[in-house]
Amino acid sequence: MEAPDAELVRAIAAQADDAPAAEAELCRRFAPRIRLYGLRHLRDEDRAADLVQAVLLALLQAARTGRIADPDRVDRFMLGTSRNVALRMRETDARSAGDAALAAIAAPDELLERIDAPALWRCMRALDDRARRVVMLSFNDDRAADEIAALLSISAVNVRVLRHRSIAALRRCLDAPKEVDA
Amino acid sequence: MTCANPIAWPTLVDYWAGDLNDAETAVVDEHLFGCADCTAASARVAAVAQALRSAIQSVVLRSTVERMRARGTRIRENGFAPGDRREVEFSAEAELLIHRLGGLDLTDAERVDLRVTAESTGALVAAVEDVPFDPTEGALFIACQRHYADLPHDTVMSVSIHPAGAAADAPPRTATYTILHRFP
Repeated sequence: MEAPDAELVRAIAAQADDAPAAEAELCRRFAPRIRLYGLRHLRDEDRAADLVQAVLLALLQAARTGRIADPDRVDRFMLGTSRNVALRMRETDARSAGDAALAAIAAPDELLERIDAPALWRCMRALDDRARRVVMLSFNDDRAADEIAALLSISAVNVRVLRHRSIAALRRCLDAPKEVDA
Repeated sequence: MTCANPIAWPTLVDYWAGDLNDAETAVVDEHLFGCADCTAASARVAAVAQALRSAIQSVVLRSTVERMRARGTRIRENGFAPGDRREVEFSAEAELLIHRLGGLDLTDAERVDLRVTAESTGALVAAVEDVPFDPTEGALFIACQRHYADLPHDTVMSVSIHPAGAAADAPPRTATYTILHRFP
């Protein structure tokens, strides 16, 4: 059974023999969450990778010096730090200086599935015209549901339903094994 | 461990589409940081969202072409006049072909539609309503991508220009271009 997050934080603070392993495990657990937070809020893969490095560095420094007040809620510490760092990055347009070990953890390819253009195209073709327009307007044009509803003369509720069903259909298609040419 | 109260799929899709308000977004953020299961589900939506964000639309503006060029995308641009029928090759060194469908008066256009059919069979390949255009450009830019190779190669592109204002009731102006693709 996996050790709880709090146990890892305490092992790091105690600088026990297993502290390096605890650090690595804590980073492994939280890197994907920080990266997704960065992608969602910074909308840029490089900056999301920078955020992972900066937040993990802050986590390790705080854990090593016993500054995480409630180890049982280390997730809240991570979220708060992610919010603060992301806010600073947005304000200053800053890129982090970088750290080789953390950069390996933050490497984009390891943390987020890559969907290539032909695979997406193959699956998009299986959607009907309206569903295709809704997903492209939502994600490619960054239009809000209300805006898309006005453009397509349907309700915003309809846009949302069409969109989540379409993303589910794309997911099923992308997960299905590819047909092999005869 | 399994999440006892997982975030619903529609909420995750709205989250990645940026269609939750600040309070709802904060609730999702908080849940995700404490939940590996929902993080995994969120990552599955995120991967599709990211792929859609970086997808190139089939009709683009010149500014998009210039942006892609500045990013280093190897683009080969071909100009066409209305009525042209010509072969183009998607050569190995090109990552993207841009078909510049020129000779269009878009100055009074309210909406422009594009219809693509196969010359040999007449089958509909694509119909795109309300494509992006610059009224001052006099052209549409078609972004022909390598994965289009599985579509018919002999394409007739028909552009319909719907005028605004007093001419709105008039039938749309049309122009056609026949582009015969070769994918070596």
